[in-house]
Amino acid sequence: MRIFVQLVLVLSLTLLATASFAESEAMKVLERMGVAAKQLSYEGVFAYQTGKNLQSIRIIHRADEQGEVERLVSLNGSAREVIRTNDLVTCIFPEGKRVHVNRRPLGRGFPSDLLRRLDSATPYYEVVMGQDGRVADRQAAELIIKPIDSYRYGFRLWVDKKSDLLLKSELLAENGNVLETFAFSMIELNKTIPDSLLQPQISGKEMTWNRTEPETGINMATKQNVSKWQIAWLPEGFSLVAQQNRLKANNGASVEQRVYSDGLSSVSIFIEKIRARHSHLHGGSTMGAVNAFGTILSAHFVTVVGEVPAKTVEKVGASISYKGDSEQ
Amino acid sequence: MTANHTELLSALVDGELQGQELDKALQLLNNNELTREQLQRYQFASDVLHGNTHDNQRIDLSASVAQALDKEPVYSDKTKENVKASVIVLPKQFWQQAAGLAMAASIGALAVVGVVSQPQNQLVPIRTVANEVPVETTTVATTGNRWTVGEAEVADRLNTYLVDHNEYAGASDVFSYARVVSYEAGQ
Repeated sequence: MRIFVQLVLVLSLTLLATASFAESEAMKVLERMGVAAKQLSYEGVFAYQTGKNLQSIRIIHRADEQGEVERLVSLNGSAREVIRTNDLVTCIFPEGKRVHVNRRPLGRGFPSDLLRRLDSATPYYEVVMGQDGRVADRQAAELIIKPIDSYRYGFRLWVDKKSDLLLKSELLAENGNVLETFAFSMIELNKTIPDSLLQPQISGKEMTWNRTEPETGINMATKQNVSKWQIAWLPEGFSLVAQQNRLKANNGASVEQRVYSDGLSSVSIFIEKIRARHSHLHGGSTMGAVNAFGTILSAHFVTVVGEVPAKTVEKVGASISYKGDSEQ
Repeated sequence: MTANHTELLSALVDGELQGQELDKALQLLNNNELTREQLQRYQFASDVLHGNTHDNQRIDLSASVAQALDKEPVYSDKTKENVKASVIVLPKQFWQQAAGLAMAASIGALAVVGVVSQPQNQLVPIRTVANEVPVETTTVATTGNRWTVGEAEVADRLNTYLVDHNEYAGASDVFSYARVVSYEAGQ
């Protein structure tokens, strides 16, 4: 009997160690993926599918001593573009003859701070290696990321075995349905990218330019800027990771953005003072896997946006209240 | 008017009559006012189906259907994300027209008044029964690459927020701005 108990114990420990090693290996791949996204130069075409909609997008990403520049161009329909530099995001919508220019948050480089966020995400997701696959003619390792509850989505990621670049990503609903897929169909790595490839196709003449400037960037370490708003409920593990006030140049409105994240999923709460008679979202709306919930509180538009389930943004939105000048 | 006469008229509208049957149908039309009126209705239904109607002949049922829907309470059950079917009370006039259409064999397909299964993810504001429960909005995710809102102004604001939110996107950072690039315009 004693031998049997010992055998069971040894087997259990072995299985535990194996599972732990697999999770550890998966986390390492995830970490390397975060680094590769920031350090590699590449050009490729990827598909973005949500529901019945399929879009092909060309992406050009250059990383060098000057920092990062990235350009995405829609290959179907109108040639919409997004150009990201170290400090600006420029969105060009030719069909509406509009250009939106957003200055990036102060003190931030590119948004990919996955490395920093991974540690905090670990308790809320199970991260394991899946089966190897092939994406865009390259060998890829599959990562399966399952959330612990239904307030966040899961992921399946395919990471290039040679470069560690993310080649394919699926966002998964609780029932396993794929909500969004991003997948490279072709990619060229480590190629020299001339400036000309990073320039927009349109000149900008005859376009309406909308600029959003940062009013204040908030140092999260000191949290000197205290919000007048209270959020009573967030999914377990979500905490405030960024906060900023922006000034919309086109109407002078100040918009407060508070970002809460568990490390892998995030929601932004936007609070905009109502300056004139405008329409606003009441209840929920969705685009692909991104959900939004809007309401009006104390003469402010309050909107929760995130790549999380609808019930999450709805529950967060319903828990927001105005607390005036008292400290949260 | 007998069932045989009805079939005869339906076949006449479809151009399927020849010889004696054609003569019989024409004779029937000559002698019977009701038959002539019935033929006009069938002809009109056929034109609608084949897209041959003129502007002044259009009958827009959407307003009356919408009106009927507005009057009809909708019961919400939050445990069900998939709305399989709903029973719709339609105006009497609509049923008369639908019944008329159903009688024409060649256009029988139109007689199926749909039981529409909502896409699993479609955002549906579900009204609760008045005076029973406070009005609530239930959201269920939809598929598609545009915001499920009616007004361009609201969609624009959400797009602006989306761009800002993308700075903090999840594990798919590399691809996150694809949502902005893919956004369908022309709301």
